[in-house]
Amino acid sequence: MDLILVLALLMPPLAAGVLALVLRRVPRRVAWLNVLTIPISLVAAGAIAVRLATGGASIVVGQLWRIDALSGLLAVLIASVAALAVALGPGTDREHHWRDADVRTFRIYVNLFAFTMLVAVSTVNLGLMWVAIEATTVTSALLIPLQRTKASVEASWKYLLIGSVGIALAFTGTVVAYVDFATTGVDINVALDFTAMREAATAFHPQVARLAFVFLLVGFGTKAGLAPTHTWLPEAHSEAPSPLSAMMSGVLLAVALYAVMRWKTIIDLAVGSAFSDSLLLIVGTATLAVGSLSLLSQTHFKRLLAFSSIEHMGLACLGLALGPLGTFAALLHLTGHALVKSATFLLSGRVLHRFGSGTISATRGLLATAPHTAVLFAAGIFALGGLPPFSLFVSEILIVKAGWAAGHPLLTTAVLILLLIAFGSLLVQLHRMLFGEAPSGITQGERATGAVLLLSVPVVVVAWLGVSIPAPLQMLLSNAVLVVRP
Amino acid sequence: MMRDALVIGVQTVLLIVIAPAIVGYVRLMKARLQGRRGAAVVQPYRELRKTFRKGMVIADSASWIFHLAPFVIVGATVAAASLAPVISAAQPADLLGDLFVLAALLMLGTFFLALGGLDPGTAFGGMGSSREMTVAALTEPTIAIAVLTLALTTGSTSLGAIAGTVLKTPAYAIGPGHALAFAAFLIALIAETGRLPVDNPSTHLELTMIHEAMILEYSGPYLALIEWAAAVRLTLLLTLAANLFLPWGMATSLAPVALVAALLAIVVKLAILGLLLALLETRVAKLRLFRVPELLALSFTLALLAAASSFFTK
Amino acid sequence: MEAAFSRITMTAASAMLLLSLVVLWRRHAGAYITAFRTQSITLAVTGAIVAFYGTAPELFFVSFMILVVKGWIVPSVLSAMDAKRRSGRELHPLLNTETSLLVCGALAVAAYEISRPLAEVMNLATRGGLPIALALVFVSLFIVVSRRDVIAQIVGFLMLENGIALLALLGAYGVPLIVELGVFLDVLLGVLVMQAVVYQIHDTSAD
Repeated sequence: MDLILVLALLMPPLAAGVLALVLRRVPRRVAWLNVLTIPISLVAAGAIAVRLATGGASIVVGQLWRIDALSGLLAVLIASVAALAVALGPGTDREHHWRDADVRTFRIYVNLFAFTMLVAVSTVNLGLMWVAIEATTVTSALLIPLQRTKASVEASWKYLLIGSVGIALAFTGTVVAYVDFATTGVDINVALDFTAMREAATAFHPQVARLAFVFLLVGFGTKAGLAPTHTWLPEAHSEAPSPLSAMMSGVLLAVALYAVMRWKTIIDLAVGSAFSDSLLLIVGTATLAVGSLSLLSQTHFKRLLAFSSIEHMGLACLGLALGPLGTFAALLHLTGHALVKSATFLLSGRVLHRFGSGTISATRGLLATAPHTAVLFAAGIFALGGLPPFSLFVSEILIVKAGWAAGHPLLTTAVLILLLIAFGSLLVQLHRMLFGEAPSGITQGERATGAVLLLSVPVVVVAWLGVSIPAPLQMLLSNAVLVVRP
Repeated sequence: MMRDALVIGVQTVLLIVIAPAIVGYVRLMKARLQGRRGAAVVQPYRELRKTFRKGMVIADSASWIFHLAPFVIVGATVAAASLAPVISAAQPADLLGDLFVLAALLMLGTFFLALGGLDPGTAFGGMGSSREMTVAALTEPTIAIAVLTLALTTGSTSLGAIAGTVLKTPAYAIGPGHALAFAAFLIALIAETGRLPVDNPSTHLELTMIHEAMILEYSGPYLALIEWAAAVRLTLLLTLAANLFLPWGMATSLAPVALVAALLAIVVKLAILGLLLALLETRVAKLRLFRVPELLALSFTLALLAAASSFFTK
Repeated sequence: MEAAFSRITMTAASAMLLLSLVVLWRRHAGAYITAFRTQSITLAVTGAIVAFYGTAPELFFVSFMILVVKGWIVPSVLSAMDAKRRSGRELHPLLNTETSLLVCGALAVAAYEISRPLAEVMNLATRGGLPIALALVFVSLFIVVSRRDVIAQIVGFLMLENGIALLALLGAYGVPLIVELGVFLDVLLGVLVMQAVVYQIHDTSAD
């Protein structure tokens, strides 16, 4: 049963990618087939999540695969966002015309991208997790320049280089931890196995463990868009095609944070949580500051969303440093952010296509031009700004509460101010986009197409979560917190 | 005590006396490598004798510094030469000075040479002085750190002790620190003594000169003194390179047999190093001036790496 | 025996570090690629030595893979990239050569200091080379950050990977085989993707 679940989770995207590679003549049919395969992963992830939420044991297959509550949560997020991106990407998107070659490229790599992310969260071997995360860089970098503009190619290069260097640093941290593990005399063959490392963690040497964590935080933090190595993010996320931006902003950043969380558990067992907490506090606040303050001066709406991602990742990182309550809030935040950011990016793709430009000043009168998209887009921006009834409001309040409880009053006040600045910036830009006179030559009016209906689902879900979190999800989140902070 | 003083005196005189021969030998090797017959090894002696006898023409704008400089240069170089372990590693060098005193004396000589170039107020002299100072600013620390690397492993900055320790425990000589320090020292040596690829000693094009430009105004006995001091400096640095990094053959006692053997050893080593120098000069072209700091930074980094590896892995 | 093993690995590690200085010293892309190739071959030789003295036979396979992948395939890809470019011009970095070299000296000293706790807990014979491996990592990072030219950046990244491989080799006689294979795959794919992106850069900026 475990084996079937894991196969049902991992195989569909891999199969879809291989299919797209092999069947070169019929890319559009492959695209529609793709839309049918990803939901299998989503169902599997859902089943795993339900099982783990109701107190079931972790899913274990062989020596490499182990899905516990944290993995399950992320698997659900990855599968959901992937399903959205796959359903609304090139090939199935009726409104935007793509070349066949580009459709094929997209279908191959987006599936491989989803596959590598799912592998990263399902494996118990930290070395394999690293390999998978490196593979995400490789598979996504080829998709960013899908439209062959100079800006997108340069953005892809920056992403590829900085991402690869960051990942290499994370590998340095992995090697340092491995060297320490090897000196504890435990069997080398289970080295880098998360459960084995967790057990042997108390025998690690403190100085070495700290050194390893610094490398790991810098390394995986680069992929998560944490300051100061976030510089690749604004361009990469804004120049990429919208489905890819949705996946990258929504879940890739979360997967990188997942890696940090896994290592944090181990290092905390070795040297106590004070060290990693203080590091995460500093990095999180710095990232939040960079994200929020940069929102003030943005002129392109996709870059606005990208900096918003940086802001939210900083917030999640901060939450991780603030004890069990903060960790719960951080995980809830990642959940809400994944769903609403991906929907907002996909909506921004529709806006971009309608207006033909990515600048805010050129996209006025959105409400009159495309009302359905406008309303959903506005809802998405409200959610990202931290307004109720969306769940990001709840998670932000919880993080602030955790900050007070952990005894950081000054820091928490600063965080509140930064969140308010972010909120204000987002609303001002939204206002500019929604109202005003639409530029001439833009087609007016919009039907409630399947795409719009599909995109309303995550927004509604996040709104619902903000009002009340259903018990299974709450259980899942609590179990996940126990994984991170045992 | 008397014996030590005698040894030190003999070593110093030896260095001073054979210095022009070393310069002549390098020139001869260079000529042969280039397919020419070349002048005899003793040619520099003849040149010095000729130059000593000539009259001096001194610029009107020259001050007392101009007259003082040659003597300070010679004095500093000879004093530095007395510190170097040429034959014997068993000398009480603490009496006279150690590695830092040596570096300081070399720098004193360079400094006064530069002053002497500046003093008459000619354009070429000033140009040569400023270039020489740029080079010296990077080579002096390199030499100091390269020898310091050795001092770190031996635990003493006395030059004789350094040479003696490497003799006793050859295991120190294998390993990256030693090799890196040697490489750095060689590059600094080339720069200090004004050989290719940093500076061409036989150039007559003033705009490409560094060392020669500073002594353009000197003539007669002053010029002879400065030329001799330059030869002594070259021999001194070659001796240091040979005896500090590859000290085998040096005498550890004052027995006559050991001393004679050490004498032969140092002559052989100087001959080999001189040949290598000639080979290098024949092969490479002179570096453009703004590339010289890059080369010197490289040698400084090598010295720094050598010191780091010696300091941290003890 | 053990002392000789220790010294030889330390010397090989130092050679690798010096080769990375070549990227800071020379200004020609061909020199960078040759330095990387030589460095990878040195790494493979080091791996073979560790496999022999440290009795870890799977490292022979790893060394062979390093030789093939990093010593042959990747430099060929890089040379192809370099040949496609129109230049032969000098490549100007963000920081001049003298300062770069001095910064590397400082980074090496920092690496020695930082790796002290690590070297203390290790009980393997190769612990002397560990600071040098870390210094190589830092110097490669500096190369990536301070170079404007694409080939230099890629070579810096590849040297970073070499440094980490050296760290794993000297620190624990290599990482588990499956991770090692994954790393090779990633490096190879990474370089191929970099090649594809660089070609696209040329195509879009060709005017």
